[in-house]
Amino acid sequence: MRYLLLGVLTCVPVLAGMGEAVAHGSNIEYRQTEAIQITAKYDSGTPMGEAQVTVYSPDDPATPWVQGVTDEQGNFTFVPDPDQRGNWEVKVRQSGHGDIISIPLEEQEAETASTSESATITQATTNTTGYSPLQKGVMAVVGVWGCVGTALFFLRKKGE
Amino acid sequence: MHIPDGFLPPTVAIAGYAITGGATWFSVRQIRQDSDPTANIPKAALLTAAFFVASLIHIPIPPSSIHLVLNGLMGIILGYYAFPAILIGLFFQAVMFGHGGISSLGVNTAMMGIPALLAYYGFWWSQRGKRTPPLWRKISVFLAGGGALLLSAATFVIITITTIPPELNADLERNAIYASLIGYSIQALIEGSFTVMVIVFLERVKPEVLKVSEP
Repeated sequence: MRYLLLGVLTCVPVLAGMGEAVAHGSNIEYRQTEAIQITAKYDSGTPMGEAQVTVYSPDDPATPWVQGVTDEQGNFTFVPDPDQRGNWEVKVRQSGHGDIISIPLEEQEAETASTSESATITQATTNTTGYSPLQKGVMAVVGVWGCVGTALFFLRKKGE
Repeated sequence: MHIPDGFLPPTVAIAGYAITGGATWFSVRQIRQDSDPTANIPKAALLTAAFFVASLIHIPIPPSSIHLVLNGLMGIILGYYAFPAILIGLFFQAVMFGHGGISSLGVNTAMMGIPALLAYYGFWWSQRGKRTPPLWRKISVFLAGGGALLLSAATFVIITITTIPPELNADLERNAIYASLIGYSIQALIEGSFTVMVIVFLERVKPEVLKVSEP
């Protein structure tokens, strides 16, 4: 009995020491989730590095839900709350320039993600117009032609 | 230098519309006093096209790139027509390319249009003598072209610094705005030089284009 008690008493500091050793260790957990990555660029194609990002949730579009800064490539990733479905507003701003993008998070996507248990990364850019350079070129030509047409119209009137 | 939608408090956006409305009314009233108010419309339409397209041409100036605004040039050539021309150009830029925005159209027009009118006044004031030396004429064109851009940039900086939302890191944003001032200074030199080139070219090729009524 005496030896048993001694054994128990000697074990206590050893166990306590083990607990402390565990606290100094590392522990990594993981879970797969649904993330949204945005890429902010200027119209010229230059990435908006170190631009401030503010994310607003669909449930409270007036209060920032998360804030951060883009990396040098203009990328910023955040994990939205899967319970809040709707339009997530992301505002990117740097020196007074920037854009706001609305990213819809649909109910259907949530079901797919939860049933397949796979991570979904949605990519979007801050280009709200989303036009290709060719489309922009055509629109520019149309706009210029509108102005030239106006000029020609008033010149014709003047010549009469 | 276009302020996008959603970056301005409603009071500032409304004040911008009020100023732009007043300046447009004033400009149109001055235009109507011309003997033939439609005479300068072809010229105004062509410069509106140039203003509209200029925002798509990017000149790389680290850390980002700039595009010509041409508001000083428009002021010198168009006079009072410059303000409505800038309003129309900015409207189409906002609608077609997402440069600027509809809610910020008033602020953006006032920011670029009023310096255009001041460039017009300044240029005419400098040319009020009987015969001005060619060098002085070029310098005044340069100052009008570059100065209009600098005035717009200064207005942009003041508006953006005073309307930084509380949720943002104000120091980071302020530093980024101050850093952009270097780019605007270079842009002012480019704009001034470009304005001189265009005016000298027009004086040689088609001097009648430069005849606008005195303020």
